[in-house]
Amino acid sequence: METIDLIDLVSIGLLLLGALFFLTGTVGLLRFNNCFARLHALTKADNVGLGCIALGLMLQAESGWAVAKIALIWALAQLAATVSAHLIARFSLRLGGGVRRMPP
Amino acid sequence: MIRALADDAVSGAATGAATGAATDLEIAALLWWAFDGLLALGLLGLAYQVVAGRQLFRSVVLFIIYGLLMAVAWARLAAPDLALAEAAIGAGLTGALLLSAYRNLIGTDGEEGPHAPITPPAGAPPMTVPRWAALFAAALAGLLVAGIGWVAVGLQPPEQTAGRLALEQLAESGVENPVTAVLLNFRSIDTIGEVVVLFVAFLAARVVAQELDHAGPGDWLRASQREPLLVGPLIAFIAPMAVLVTGYLLWAGGHQPGGAFQAGAVLAALAVLLRLTGRLRPRLEPTLLERSVLVGGVVLFSAIGLAGAGLAGAVLEYPPGWDYRLILLIETVLTLSIALPLALLFSGSGGLRQEVR
Amino acid sequence: MTLLYTGLAVFLLLNLLVGLMRVYFGPTAADRMLAALLFGTTTVAVLLLLAEAMALSALRDVALLFTLLAAVVALAFTRLPRRFKGR
Repeated sequence: METIDLIDLVSIGLLLLGALFFLTGTVGLLRFNNCFARLHALTKADNVGLGCIALGLMLQAESGWAVAKIALIWALAQLAATVSAHLIARFSLRLGGGVRRMPP
Repeated sequence: MIRALADDAVSGAATGAATGAATDLEIAALLWWAFDGLLALGLLGLAYQVVAGRQLFRSVVLFIIYGLLMAVAWARLAAPDLALAEAAIGAGLTGALLLSAYRNLIGTDGEEGPHAPITPPAGAPPMTVPRWAALFAAALAGLLVAGIGWVAVGLQPPEQTAGRLALEQLAESGVENPVTAVLLNFRSIDTIGEVVVLFVAFLAARVVAQELDHAGPGDWLRASQREPLLVGPLIAFIAPMAVLVTGYLLWAGGHQPGGAFQAGAVLAALAVLLRLTGRLRPRLEPTLLERSVLVGGVVLFSAIGLAGAGLAGAVLEYPPGWDYRLILLIETVLTLSIALPLALLFSGSGGLRQEVR
Repeated sequence: MTLLYTGLAVFLLLNLLVGLMRVYFGPTAADRMLAALLFGTTTVAVLLLLAEAMALSALRDVALLFTLLAAVVALAFTRLPRRFKGR
């Protein structure tokens, strides 16, 4: 039987943590009661989640190029999520729907 | 956890290891089965909602998500070339195109715009298909699909398929990626046809397209409003990155998944991004440069193909030793000739010009 | 490890499909859109996991394209007129 070394253990931990963050994001998306709260929940949760999964996979990657590519994917995801969240929040604020639709 | 299961199975060393391995494989098969099943169900459900949904905007968003899952489906079918194309076209072009079309439909004030779908007058009979006709058509279509499936399942797998033939001859093609070898060497006539189709689609769209104003930037580029703060930095990062990725996909096409179509789609997506944010503006007529890029791919591909008749003995045959270089040249020009019509189709204009600020 | 990758991919896909309820019920257009953006990130994570699990490193390029172009849809969405009803 092969043994699980430290790197594998850290990797497994990061991957599970990432999955937990994705779960949190989905729960937030479904349970929070207005648009801004949902935005807050998921744009943070899913990017930390993706970050953890990316880190976990980087530890297992076969070459330096693969590590760099995963890091680039994560960095681009950060950028896209930041801008998208900003744009959608702005849109929602202008629309006024996000606040007004909050149930009593 | 799985390791623990495997360890439990150790009673006699050899048999224990064997059972452990078998359990691992069984669990892996079960997990893949679950993944593929969920994916298929999700795709079917999404497709149904996209078509049958009553709210147009919801259908648009669901279609964007459908594109995401479709790319995962191609990935599961071990077809990364198609997954790349789906990702570039789905995320970069289709989503923006549908949202722009939606914007056109609802008009600028949130009421029905000039291009809203025609609603029948109140007294008119409903424009629906009678139930029996729908059931009849559904039954016929179901029979047809079942019949084709039944025949397909019963077929003997042929000894020598085109795919196997292509894989055997891969060394002669000049490239290592079998998909590129088929697209640009073994069946290059089909690829010329596809590029011509794209060009004709562009010409056809030029005939019917009249409006230029709806694909432009929204409210926030009017004089009264400023552009959102983060858009400038976003484009400053994304634009060079997209050009880099275009070059990477083009180069990668020779030995791993990638190629002219994927690279062209990424470049077109960049043009869409610039068009959406007002960096590029529409122009009615293409310039000479744009015209030559539009036809460049077909012209170069055909010229090299015809030259092959003299130099290599057959039309669309490359001279020996020149395969890789010629394929790379054709792919580079094709990338531009694919990107420009896609961008112009989105823009709904004959040409593009840079916005002077 | 491959089992873990596959298991996590199943879990993330399940997350995505459950989250579709938000797209279905809305209520505002922004809600549907932000759910779609979350699914974009989820798909990227799934593709990265599949790249390892299926030993198909080209799938990372697919993930790269999705992250590169994620903002295009959000930008196209922001251009919608402000006073529309999100239907």
